[in-house]
Amino acid sequence: MSKKITVSKAIGEALHEEMVRDDKVFIMGEDMAVMGNVFAITRGFLEEFGPNRVIDTPISEEGFCGMAVGAAMRGMRPVVELMYDDFATVAADPLLNQAAKMRYMSGGQATVPMVLRAPMGAGRRNAGQHSQSLENFFCHFPGLKVIAPCSAKDAKGMLKTAIRDDDPVIVLEHKLLYAKKEEIPEEEYLIPLGLADVKREGKDLTIITWSREVNFSLEAAKTLAAEGIDVEVLDLRSLVPLDWDAIVKSVSKTHNVIIVSEEVKRGSYAGEISAQIAEELFDELDAPVERVCGLNIVPPFSPTLEDENFPHPDTIVKAVKRVLNK
Amino acid sequence: MKTLANKKYSKEQLTDFYRTMVRIRTFEEKAAECFTKGMLAGNIHLSIGQEAAAAGAFAAIQPQDYFTSTHRGHGHAIARGMDANLCMAELFGKKTGYCQGKGGSMHIADMKKMNHLGANGIVGAGQGISAGSALASKILGDNAVTVGCFGDSSTNEGTFHENLNMAATWKLPLVWFIENNCYGVSTEIHRVTNTPDLAPRAAAYDVPFAVVDGTDPVAVYEAMTTAMDHARSGKGPYVVEAKVYRYQGHYCGDPAVYRPGEYMEKALENDAIEKLGKRLMDMGVAAEELEAIKKAADDEMNAAVQFAVDSEYPDPSEAVTDVYASDNERCVAR
Amino acid sequence: MAFEVLMPQLGLTMEEGTVSQWIKHEGDEVKTGDVILEITTDKLTNEVTSEHDGVLLKIVAQEGEDIPVKGLLAYIGQPGEAVGGASAPAAADSVASAAEAAAVAAVPAAAAVSVAAANGARIRISPLARKTAAKLGVDYSNIAGSGSFGRITQKDILAAAEAQKNAPAAAPAAAASAPAPKAGSLELMEGDTVIKLAGMRKVVSQRMWASHNEIPPVTQNIKVDVTALMKFRKMLLAETGKKYSVNDLVLKATAKCLRQHPEMLVSLDGDQIIQRAHVNLGMAVALDAGLIVPVIRDADKLSLDALSAAAKDLASRAKENKLGADEYKGSTFTVSNLGMFGIETFTPIINQPDAAILGVCAIHDELDLDGEGKLFKKQVMRLSCTLDHRLLDGSVVAKFEMDLRDLLEKPMSILL
Repeated sequence: MSKKITVSKAIGEALHEEMVRDDKVFIMGEDMAVMGNVFAITRGFLEEFGPNRVIDTPISEEGFCGMAVGAAMRGMRPVVELMYDDFATVAADPLLNQAAKMRYMSGGQATVPMVLRAPMGAGRRNAGQHSQSLENFFCHFPGLKVIAPCSAKDAKGMLKTAIRDDDPVIVLEHKLLYAKKEEIPEEEYLIPLGLADVKREGKDLTIITWSREVNFSLEAAKTLAAEGIDVEVLDLRSLVPLDWDAIVKSVSKTHNVIIVSEEVKRGSYAGEISAQIAEELFDELDAPVERVCGLNIVPPFSPTLEDENFPHPDTIVKAVKRVLNK
Repeated sequence: MKTLANKKYSKEQLTDFYRTMVRIRTFEEKAAECFTKGMLAGNIHLSIGQEAAAAGAFAAIQPQDYFTSTHRGHGHAIARGMDANLCMAELFGKKTGYCQGKGGSMHIADMKKMNHLGANGIVGAGQGISAGSALASKILGDNAVTVGCFGDSSTNEGTFHENLNMAATWKLPLVWFIENNCYGVSTEIHRVTNTPDLAPRAAAYDVPFAVVDGTDPVAVYEAMTTAMDHARSGKGPYVVEAKVYRYQGHYCGDPAVYRPGEYMEKALENDAIEKLGKRLMDMGVAAEELEAIKKAADDEMNAAVQFAVDSEYPDPSEAVTDVYASDNERCVAR
Repeated sequence: MAFEVLMPQLGLTMEEGTVSQWIKHEGDEVKTGDVILEITTDKLTNEVTSEHDGVLLKIVAQEGEDIPVKGLLAYIGQPGEAVGGASAPAAADSVASAAEAAAVAAVPAAAAVSVAAANGARIRISPLARKTAAKLGVDYSNIAGSGSFGRITQKDILAAAEAQKNAPAAAPAAAASAPAPKAGSLELMEGDTVIKLAGMRKVVSQRMWASHNEIPPVTQNIKVDVTALMKFRKMLLAETGKKYSVNDLVLKATAKCLRQHPEMLVSLDGDQIIQRAHVNLGMAVALDAGLIVPVIRDADKLSLDALSAAAKDLASRAKENKLGADEYKGSTFTVSNLGMFGIETFTPIINQPDAAILGVCAIHDELDLDGEGKLFKKQVMRLSCTLDHRLLDGSVVAKFEMDLRDLLEKPMSILL
């Protein structure tokens, strides 16, 4: 049995199911309660779960992220939403110095089972402080898990797992995916973290990607197929933990790789994956690994400028052909 | 509580304060000695001069309550009744330390048994964590109060205001205990802060507060008792500021040349242990009894040093453990 | 400041040279024009002279090393001047970085620097292709890569391996020359010595191998009665005092006959055939070190005198290693004469990109019967013409051979 719902609805379902299942789960963030979130993800939650578990915060990102850490250390399972992942810089200390490090620095005493939902990504004409993709920023910090699902099914199944996970999990949600309607199973299900998903099988080249770029990569794959180029689209879904086995399997099959993300190219997580492939799968490569990312610029505002700054299907097609010299 | 304010304290109660204060100072002195001899990893921040504040405050904190601490947090751990051996071993970076040598002096924690949510190396970090713990208590309804201990300088962090505002709004069972030693590393607090006291900032959020003499454990105890009762009763947070002295520089070995001579003169005139000792003797406690307390503390802390010295360092393989609660190996691998 | 001595470019096609011998040694004084070393290019040994006065400060390229054109050979400068090695990294670096720049230049033109292993540049090959090549035993030094910037990819290696399998004796389809046999694979026997395949021998080896493997050859022998030719030669000597060799006369006749048979003057270039306009006669010359084929350009337009003089000049200069690099390029037909060694017939290998080669054999007496059944003695010579059957057919070449025979048998017509 399956049903067709939007990604945002799927996220809402995950939150709802977990809040019903476990009364330690609560949600907090800006405009989460009365308004029910700017993307209507938590509409009706306040009425159902009450103000203790559905909390509208003031615009105090560092403050409420810090509180989430403290509450999580006490066994609660806070699900915090940052309105934009860009605001993570405001809340850097609780996320990066506290949540990420608490377990290690306490010698394994602390668990910080919090989830930070961070809407991210370009394409909404929101300019430099509301359009970033900060995968590398989060993935840099040991102690954090980072996931970036692209579909309604993955978003729901992985968020549920993230809420149950005992580590802090950053969930990167691309804002332009929220309205996508997709089939998801009717019954309850979980998708483990650290499990990549081959969204399209192919033999000539592997596109390693995640989040919205999965969809663009699939579009590119269709175009390429018409020209006889058969690409595999490997949706990582989870960046930390990274499904290295899936990468090894795919790269060993296709021997050609591009990594597609919306990040600033310099210092990107795409670059990190590229480096790992170069280090460990060197002998499997038939061409250099190419990162297909945003430019090394501030996310621009004007549509003509912003469109330059993240990979589109045709950008991906070109990159694939470049790597394959076709 | 009002009743306590007028209460005549027994010899035993005051002796307990005295013992705790002496134990803290002895611990710090032994740690300083080890540091000077190069036996410790990293560096340490000593709370000599702040013993009365810790002793008084923690006497008011109940076993079910939680607390956070700071880089200058050894005294809190001792006052809470934590094991000096394990504290000292942590300073040494030994496997037997509270955090198995992964935290060190600035990160002593005992989350399970002592509800110590951790000392913290980031000034002000405990504000958010303590407020979050209080939020958890409110949601859980567990009747526990969380005490956030931090220093004067952290009241100038944004989180002080962000979290106090939220805690006040949501009536969280939270007490903030500010030990004001007047210095943030080298900077005298009034050079960077416009008010003589720090706790009155709480008034901005309609949060009650008290400013007390941190060299008097009784005054601190009384203020903190009031604060704890307030928080526990569901009325929201309370802020207590205790005026203390930092005998050492910022870290052990810092000569504190930036500090005027009068600071230490005044500090020594007000030395909490001296004052309380005199008071106890005035009450008829024999000098030998006080000496015996010092001797016991000396033995205890010598033993703690010996325990730390005798303990093993963590195996190098431990470097990659406990980064994550689950799937650790894979998350650390790449 | 020290001056660099660089590998000269001798001829347009030269890509690298081998340092064969240092005439001057480190510390020796050199004057402008002094020969400082000898280099071997793919066909020749040449001298490199100094362009400066000074002292040979440092020899960078050792004897036996293959150095690309413009590669650094040595430094000349003032005594005591510090250069080379660690003390003069700047110059060395500039060479290295230029090569590097060429190798990594992210421009389409970089395709041009692709695979030329023969010139000493590094081979662009993907890690996977290298691994695959090692596994399958494929030599990739001469494979043209199909990847970006000419990179050899696994596909190229697999194709080469496939080609090797299908034609075990033949080259990989894409290969331009013989795979270097793996050194050290032969068992040495007592008294054996090992000589590095280098210089001219290496080039001859590669070219013969390539020709032999690429061309489906047919060799057709024809017998020529040269009794009249030999008399004619004597007559010329008597009349002009000039001694023409049989080879001169054969060259002249061949040139003339080729002009009448342009179908012989073709070259295969991929999927196209080049019709050659000129009769450029290659003339195989045996040397101690190998074989070289200097070219007599427009031989059909030369008088016997001029042709003879050109042949003698080229042969003697070839033997002295003094040919210019462009003097052994551009043949459209080649003559190889083994007559002086008593060879009766042979199967010459075509000098690519020619379509055919004429082998000239020994002259000897033969008995024959005349029209009345009487025995008589005549002098005969065989011509062995090998043709590239991709371009030429037996009957076509047979006609050429018959016409050539007729010319040689009526020698006066050679000159008419």
